[in-house]
Amino acid sequence: MYVNDTTGNSKPAYQSDLCARIIPCLDVANGRVVKGTNFKQLLDMGDPVELAKMYELQGADELVFLDIKASVDGQQSALDMVNQVARHLSIPFAVGGGIKSLEDVHKFFHAGADKVTLNTMAVEQPELINQIANQYGSQSIVVAVDVNQEDDGSLAIYTHGGSQRATVNYHQWLAELVDRGAGEVLLTAMHKDGTGSGFDTQLLAQFGAEFPVQVIASGGANGPEDFLAAIEAGADAVLAAGIFHRGEYTVGQIKSYLIKHNIKIRNPGC
Amino acid sequence: MNINGAKVAVIDLNSGNLLSLQTAIQAAGGQLTTVQQPSADLFTECDVLVMPGQGRFAYVMQQIDDSGWRTFLLEWVRNGKRLVGICVGMQVLFEGSEEDPEAVGLGLFKGHCKKLSHPKTPMVGWAKLQSYKLSMQDQFAYFVNSYAIAECPFGTAKVNYGGSFCAAVQRGNLYGFQFHPEKSGQFGRELIKYVCQ
Repeated sequence: MYVNDTTGNSKPAYQSDLCARIIPCLDVANGRVVKGTNFKQLLDMGDPVELAKMYELQGADELVFLDIKASVDGQQSALDMVNQVARHLSIPFAVGGGIKSLEDVHKFFHAGADKVTLNTMAVEQPELINQIANQYGSQSIVVAVDVNQEDDGSLAIYTHGGSQRATVNYHQWLAELVDRGAGEVLLTAMHKDGTGSGFDTQLLAQFGAEFPVQVIASGGANGPEDFLAAIEAGADAVLAAGIFHRGEYTVGQIKSYLIKHNIKIRNPGC
Repeated sequence: MNINGAKVAVIDLNSGNLLSLQTAIQAAGGQLTTVQQPSADLFTECDVLVMPGQGRFAYVMQQIDDSGWRTFLLEWVRNGKRLVGICVGMQVLFEGSEEDPEAVGLGLFKGHCKKLSHPKTPMVGWAKLQSYKLSMQDQFAYFVNSYAIAECPFGTAKVNYGGSFCAAVQRGNLYGFQFHPEKSGQFGRELIKYVCQ
């Protein structure tokens, strides 16, 4: 739905001026930004507030902060970091990690977050999705789904920062979280994450056909063509970390490439 | 009027986080206060009232009625004072919404909100505004909504999502933005500066 019609021959099923979003992801641990390959080796990459401002200037449409360590060791994410980010950004951002209860959710929103991202807690206490959607609206809740293609080819859901396999079935889980009121799904293909081998476009294409909710593709961005492939496959947004943090591409460069390939993209023009 | 002198009050309807909006108003040079309850003093002590709203239409209307804002806001607008409604804060300026048909809006504009006719709701993200106003023309704004006003003679900007809807309305000093200026990057900051002067 984000490909501009240049031929005039094809009529889209639904009109939409919505742009595909580019979302840098900042994995945070102890107030610093980290990014690992397959979630394992963490490498410090900088100050969250500085990075956030830099990405806004580069043209990022949104940011996501994930405290991936929090769900492993139970550490609370730093609320003052969220507060500092909120005071310095004029684009939306989501936070996740360390959310254990509705009380924690209140704290994150109060600190200035626009959205919360739930992963482990969504699986363990799915009624949290309903509670957040009812109180803050569906737009405020992103459910992060870490899916791994197992050796036998089946799709398995993982929690706790990708370290524990959940019993819930992939298709059932997605249907359930949409039903409970999740506004967006952050879909991480663990078998692609950090490998630089592109997004799982087949998974993305299937997703759009099955579930009426926005999907953010995550895991596997290696170059501009991976972003294009994900959006063409049906992603509403693409999330990436290392490719931006390592300075291989700026958000602006990715966007220019996508605009050149007829994708509807926000060009902040500054 | 010097923008540095504009006194801006944000109405806290206990409906979503106000920090970004407050920060943006301060960054625009506005003298910021946050108010829960209406008071006659506002007429002398405040130039601009900003009413953000998130969540259900009925919830926001309930908050407005419980704190006694309804009569105050109608009086405020009748006196030509500036009011800026954002997101559901814009929707409640109208008569009602399909979301909660029993809830009665402020009725400052004619019309009712309808559910967006696109399979993916809420609409989340950025869209380019179609507007005749130079301040908004071809700018990208950040939206998060499932309902909207399809048409209004006072519409100043439009976008498409399953159909065309009003992204902004204005009649004199009464402004409504369906998108979130406080989340719309540099463009949004400029817009806040503009309405807060």
